Amino acid sequence: MIEDYKITAADWEPLDFDTEDAEKIVAKNRTFLGDVVFRFSRKTSALIGIALIVLLCIFAFVGPYFSPYSFDTQSLEFANLPPRMKAAEVNGNYYYLSPNLKVIALSDDGVVKSTLTKQSEDGINKRMVFVDEDQEITVDYQTIPAVILSAENESQIARTKNIWNSKYLLGTDGLGRDMLTRLMFGTRISMIVAFIATFVNMTIGMIYGGISAYAGGMTDIIMMRIVDIISTIPLTLYVILIMVLMEDGFLSIIVALSSVYWVSMARVVRGQITVLKNSEFVLAARTIGSNSTTILFRHLLPNAMGPILVTATMLVPSAIFMEAFLGFIGLGISPPMASLGTMANDALQGLRTAPYQLFLPAAVICLIMFAFNFVGDGLRDALDPKMKK
Amino acid sequence: MLEVKELTKHFPVKGKRGRVVHAVDGINFKLRKGETLGLVGESGCGKSTLARTIIRIYEPTSGQVFLKGQDISGLSVRELKPIRKLMQMIFQDPYSSLNARMTIRDIIAEPLRAHKICHTKAEENELVFEMLDMVGLGTEHALRYAHEFSGGQRQRIGIARALILRPELVICDEPISALDVSIQAQIVNLLKKFQEDLNLTYLFIAHDLSMVRYVSDKVGVMYLGHLVELCEAEEIYNNPLHPYTKGLLGSVPIPSPRLARQKKKSEIEGDIPSPISPPSGCRFHTRCKYATERCKAEAPKWQEVTTNHFVACHLHD
Ligand SMILES: Nc1ncnc2c1ncn2[C@@H]1O[C@H](COP(=O)(O)OP(=O)(O)OP(=O)(O)O)[C@@H](O)[C@H]1O
Ligand SMILES: [Mg+2]
Repeated sequence: MIEDYKITAADWEPLDFDTEDAEKIVAKNRTFLGDVVFRFSRKTSALIGIALIVLLCIFAFVGPYFSPYSFDTQSLEFANLPPRMKAAEVNGNYYYLSPNLKVIALSDDGVVKSTLTKQSEDGINKRMVFVDEDQEITVDYQTIPAVILSAENESQIARTKNIWNSKYLLGTDGLGRDMLTRLMFGTRISMIVAFIATFVNMTIGMIYGGISAYAGGMTDIIMMRIVDIISTIPLTLYVILIMVLMEDGFLSIIVALSSVYWVSMARVVRGQITVLKNSEFVLAARTIGSNSTTILFRHLLPNAMGPILVTATMLVPSAIFMEAFLGFIGLGISPPMASLGTMANDALQGLRTAPYQLFLPAAVICLIMFAFNFVGDGLRDALDPKMKK
Repeated sequence: MLEVKELTKHFPVKGKRGRVVHAVDGINFKLRKGETLGLVGESGCGKSTLARTIIRIYEPTSGQVFLKGQDISGLSVRELKPIRKLMQMIFQDPYSSLNARMTIRDIIAEPLRAHKICHTKAEENELVFEMLDMVGLGTEHALRYAHEFSGGQRQRIGIARALILRPELVICDEPISALDVSIQAQIVNLLKKFQEDLNLTYLFIAHDLSMVRYVSDKVGVMYLGHLVELCEAEEIYNNPLHPYTKGLLGSVPIPSPRLARQKKKSEIEGDIPSPISPPSGCRFHTRCKYATERCKAEAPKWQEVTTNHFVACHLHD
């Protein structure tokens, strides 16, 4: 076989370029930002976090425009309505018996119509009679929970069926305000407070930490001891004291939150800058004769931005939690404006009969915290050059 | 061009009051325009510290630095700014010496901006592109970031940044030790070409003698913060006087097994002592084969043994 083979002139022709190209290592040159985005987008939890944040923002900032109610629209007769009501059927009409023994007429698709007036009460048999147009509804409150009796047979309990509340989708609070709308406004306030507080903290922390690290020496030591002292005071206590001193309201809560959390940011920034300022490119900038502003803003801060951003993302959930906590202990946004914390606080009075009023804001708080923590984690991994694959 | 007199730099030791690292101790040398002084010594002997103290990244503890006859060691940051145009530095690590968040154009234009040399963007671009061309990089790279380049290319960018102000003195702190051997020669040749074209004066730091021989007119040998020997480049290879220099020459790898076998075994033994508490007298006596009682007690003087051949050793008093 081998001897038979004749080498022809064609064998000496150069090969096509295709075969050579196949050898090339395929690697795209990505910018730093492109790299970060790429690594970030490969982390599912981070993407879920981003999606959640976007949804929450839409919910909080766009949602209120689609709601027929405002945060302070109240109708007292429909107070404490849950999102899903146990409706009793009497002669084809549906009635909801609230835990405080009010009877509310419903349409069969769940729209609350009106609260019925009480006609008479039989204290001995523990019965009450309500009227709706031409029919009587009898409530028996001998047992707990009370029940609506069937129309044909006075000794029988009416058939019940669970209906979604379609006028107030997530029910109403103790003053008959729509929970869904208040939740939107509450989320909005909480997010705005958290964003502003984070931004202010970031700015203060960056300036403070930047100066401390850049100046170095004694200045650095003194500035960092001040930070140490501030951080030994329990922040919660400190914020509460500030809130007590100032009037309730949006501004004071921002001031309170902003004056506290910059401490951790200042530490992060200082750590970063201290390392960076001895790196050769900064020394190079100094031998070139660049001034301090250039060095700080062109060299140091952009290179320290990664950890700063991660810390900032982690600051958002703690600010939200702090705001909610303040609202919960009654030191937050002044009523009737809602924040997630004040909503949770309002819910406490009716906790036994209307637990959903606490669960809903708590759930939203949880969602926000999860989302920001996921994103923060994802950012940290994406910005860490050691993770580069 | 450059004269260094009794230059000393001590670093305080953290946590121990009053104790210092004797990084650089009483260094004297003169460098004429257009010359290259090669500076060699083991790692940690204070070469970088000397370079950085000359260029005033560090404040000198004592001593003086004269640049073109002017004492620059006491100048404030503001007074120093015009001086910066005269002397520049090329750094050791091509990776950490370029800001990863800046494009090549911005990196090379930074000196121009710092000294407000260009009034328009176009002027600036022209100078930058010219410089890129001179160091052998295409102008199409100008808008890329440093991490897209190889070590050798990065070092070229560093050279471009240092030379764009047309300085007269360039301090090269081990500019090639982080590069591949094949690229080292390219960079050294580039530096030599610039020296001829722009009449530059180099202070060239390296830790092995073989490369220094190729680039330098004069060679200085440092040991533990002291300059122990200084002379013409050829002289130091033909007639090394200080025992430490002899040891260093012995540790230069020889590219021929036959010659290597003939070579006398004269490597220096033992570890480098701590610069925090350096040995008394001659700092090299702990590792010197010829050490006497006098070496332990008395520090040798820095003296000119033959013309232009300085040494600090009791053997050559
Ligand atoms: N900023 C500093 N603070 C304290 N000590 C320092 C500082 N810089 C250098 N030193 C010390 O000074 C001594 C000399 O260091 P230097 O970097 O000048 O050595 P080198 O000769 O350049 O070494 P290499 O060849 O590894 O670059 C070392 O002991 C080092 O620990
Ligand atoms: Mg060094």
